[in-house]
Amino acid sequence: MLASVRSAMLFGVEGLVLDVEVHVSTGIPSYTFVGLPDAAVRESRDRVRAALLSSGLTWPLRRVTVNLAPSGVRKSGPGLDLPFALGLMMAGEELPAGVLDGVGVIGELGLDGSLRPVPGVLAMTDVLRRSGATAVLVPAPNASEAALVGGVRVLAATSLRQIRYALKGEGDWAPPVPECETGEGSAKGDDDPGPDLAVVRGLATGRRALEVAAAGGHHLLMVRRPGAGKTLLARCLPSILAPLDPDEALEVTRIHSAAGQPIGGRLVAARPFRAPHHTASAAALVGGGSGRPRPGEVTLAHRGTLFMDELGEFAPTVLDALRQPLEDRVVRISRQAAAVTFPADFLLIAASNPCPCGLGPPDCVCSEANRARYRRRLSAPLIDRFDVRVALGVAAPGAPVGAASAEVRGRVAEAMARQRSRYRQWRWRRNARVPAGALSRAIPLDSAASDALREVAERRGWSGRGMAAVHRVARTLADLDAESAVTPAHILLAAGMREDVL
Amino acid sequence: MSHDVATFARLPGMNGERAAAVAAQAARRGTVVLTRNDARFPIPDGIPHAPAVLLLEGDRPEVLRAPRVAVVGTRAASVHGLADAWELGAFLGAAGVSVVSGLAIGIDGAVHHGALQAAEVAGHDAAGVVAGPIGVVATGLDVVYPRRHRVLFERVRKYGVLVGEQPFGVQPERGRFPVRNRIIAALADVVVVVEATLKGGSRITAERALDYGRPVLAIPGSRRNPAAAGCNALLADGAQPLLDPSDVLVALGLTPGGERVWRTAPKPGRGPKPSANAVAVLKALGGEAAHPDQLAGRTGLDPGEVALAVEELVALRQATRDRGFVWPA
Repeated sequence: MLASVRSAMLFGVEGLVLDVEVHVSTGIPSYTFVGLPDAAVRESRDRVRAALLSSGLTWPLRRVTVNLAPSGVRKSGPGLDLPFALGLMMAGEELPAGVLDGVGVIGELGLDGSLRPVPGVLAMTDVLRRSGATAVLVPAPNASEAALVGGVRVLAATSLRQIRYALKGEGDWAPPVPECETGEGSAKGDDDPGPDLAVVRGLATGRRALEVAAAGGHHLLMVRRPGAGKTLLARCLPSILAPLDPDEALEVTRIHSAAGQPIGGRLVAARPFRAPHHTASAAALVGGGSGRPRPGEVTLAHRGTLFMDELGEFAPTVLDALRQPLEDRVVRISRQAAAVTFPADFLLIAASNPCPCGLGPPDCVCSEANRARYRRRLSAPLIDRFDVRVALGVAAPGAPVGAASAEVRGRVAEAMARQRSRYRQWRWRRNARVPAGALSRAIPLDSAASDALREVAERRGWSGRGMAAVHRVARTLADLDAESAVTPAHILLAAGMREDVL
Repeated sequence: MSHDVATFARLPGMNGERAAAVAAQAARRGTVVLTRNDARFPIPDGIPHAPAVLLLEGDRPEVLRAPRVAVVGTRAASVHGLADAWELGAFLGAAGVSVVSGLAIGIDGAVHHGALQAAEVAGHDAAGVVAGPIGVVATGLDVVYPRRHRVLFERVRKYGVLVGEQPFGVQPERGRFPVRNRIIAALADVVVVVEATLKGGSRITAERALDYGRPVLAIPGSRRNPAAAGCNALLADGAQPLLDPSDVLVALGLTPGGERVWRTAPKPGRGPKPSANAVAVLKALGGEAAHPDQLAGRTGLDPGEVALAVEELVALRQATRDRGFVWPA
C-alpha cells in the first residue's frame, strides 16, 4: 500500500514543500528511510513507533519504505514526524484514503502520541498554501500562527488519537490555543517600545542624529564617554519608528518564527530591535552554523534595528562579517549541503567609547599611539558605512528634556512618506538606499547646494563616498524640514553629522 | 671623522666583532661619527652622562652650528598644542635657529614639520642659512620609529640631520626614550616644553636641561587640559613662561625682546566677516574646546544654528574640529 502526505520543512527562513511517501508491502519486517534525511528525521522512526503504540495503533510488521521528495535536498527538522505517522496509518488502512488530499501536515510527535509545536510554522504554512494546499494540520499551539497566513483552513490537534478520530469524522479538531501567554512571548511585539525620548535630557546632537537615522535609514555611530547616554538614546529608537506595514509584518513574523523566536501566535507589529552582546560570534551575528544554517542577529533585525553597543569590543572577524550584509542587505551562507540566503535589511546603530581612557576630547589622556590602536579595531571600510557619525555632548544636570517620542515619530513618518512618494519609480524607498550612481538624478541639487557640497568636501578632504553620504543625509534633513529642495544649510548640517569621531 | 673600530667599540652594547661590523656599515652608509675629542662634537664638555660617541646622518650636518632650541612635548597633544608646536617650529626655523626634537607622534612631529616648512622656504635662496631640524632618535639610525613618520624622517635627513648614540639595528624599547632625552637636553641651548602630561618623557627632558643649566620655557595651559598639566607644574617649579615665540630668542640672548608674534585674539580684518551667530559661538567657546550641545546651551541658539555657525567658523579658519568637539583656532 502506498500513501503520500504533503508536508513542508524549513530551508533557511523559507518554507520548502515536501511529499512524504510511505510504502508498506509484504516481506521481512524492515524499515528504510530514503531521500537525504538528517539525524533528527531518521530518529523519527522511534518516536513515530512509540506514538503509534501509545495511541492504540500498531506498527506494521511488514516492509516499510519512506521516501522524502524532492530527494535532492537534505531533510532536517522534527516537523516530519506527523506526516510520516499519518502516511503510515493511511498505508496501513487505519485512515481512509484521500482524507488528507489538499492538506499540508506539520508536527512533531511525543512518545505518548501528543503533538509538539515546531518552529517556522508560518513560513511552512505560507509555502503550502502557495503550493495549492487548502488546509494545514498543525499542532494546536501552532494553530494561531498558521492562521496568520490567511486563505487556508487551519486544523489543530493535540494528539495523534484526536487526529485519527477527527479525520474519520468521529471527533472534533482542537480549538487553537495561544502559544505562550507569559514570559518572553508577551514581552515582544508592540507592548514594549522601549524608553521614550521624553526621558532624555540634553544630547541635542544625539537626538537629531537618531531622528535622521530613523527617517532616512542611515546607519548611525555614536561616540562618547561611558554613561553619556548612548545606550539610552539607542533604546529610544523603536519609539520613533513607524510600525511595520502588513507585508513587512508577515515577512518579519515568518523570519522570527523560522528562527524559533516566540511570536505568541501574533504578527510582529513593532520593528525588531536586536542588541547582541559584544561577545557574539560571527555565526551568531550574521547566521551560519554547521549543517542547517540558522539565521543570525542581522536577519532577526530585518526591517528593524541592530544595535551594537561597545562596537570596538566586538571581535574584528565579527565586524568584518558584518560588511557584506551591510552592503547587500542579505546574508549568503554556503555550506556543503546547501546555500541559503537570509534577508538582512536593517538599520545599524552603533555606540563606542572615543578612546581607551573613555574620556574623549578635550579631557583625553590617551597617547596618539594608543588611540591609533583603538581606531584600528574598527576598520575604515566599516566606519565608512556609517552615514551619520556624531560625538554626543555631555548632558548637564539641569538640561531641559527634549521633544517626546510621539512628536519625533510624527516627523519621521512624514519624512518617510515623502521618500516613498519621491522614489515611486525607483527600486528603493529610503534616502540611505539611493545608489551613488543615481544620486544626481534621484536627489538633484541646485547650484548653491552643490557648490556647498563641493566646498565642504574639499575642506575635509573627502572622497566620493563621503560626498555621497552627505548628499543623502542632506536630503533626509530636507525631508524632515518638509522642504522640496536641498539647501546649502542642509548640506552643511549633514556634513556636521559626519565627524571623524574616533 | 674616524671609522676605526675602536671608536665604534665605545658605542653601547658593543664587542669587538660587532664593532667591526657596525664600522663597516657606517662606512657604507656614509654615517658621520663624532667622538668627544672631535672639535665638531656638538655637546660641550662637562655634561654628565654625555654619550662618548654620536652618530650623525643627514644632508646638512652644519645645522648643528646654528643656535639650537629643543622643542618637546607629549604624544597626546591637544589641537592647540599641535598648532603651537608647528608655529614655534616655523618661527624658529625662519629666525635661523635649529630645532631639536625627538621625532615622536604629537608635539615632536608638529615642531619638526614647522621647522621643515621654514627650511624649505629658506632652502631656495640662502647659501648662508644653516638652521634646520635636528632629530634625535632612540634607536639605530637605520630604524624608523614611529613607522608613521617615515616621510618625516626622510625630510629631516634632507633638510637637517638625524642624531643617535645607538648602533645600527637597535629597535625601540621603552627604556631607551628617557635615555635619549638627555641627548636632546644636552644638544639644546634652550628647552621649550609645549604641552606635557604630568608623568611624560618631556618632564625628563626638562629635568635634564635644568641639570645641565639650560633655560627651560613652558607654554602655560588651562588647568582643564590634561596635556598642559606638566607645563603648568614646570612653571610652578620656576620654568619661564613662553607667551610668544620671540621669548625663545630672548632666552637665547639673540635679541633683547622683539615684536610679538602671537596674539591672543584671532587676527581681524582678514577674509569675510563672520555672521552674528558665528561671533556668538566663537565668544561662547571662550578659548577652549566645547561640544556643539554646550555651545547651544551657552548661546541660546538652536542646535542647527550652532552647527551652521561652526561650519562657517571652520571655513573661515577661526575654529577647528576634533572628534566632534569645536576648538577655537
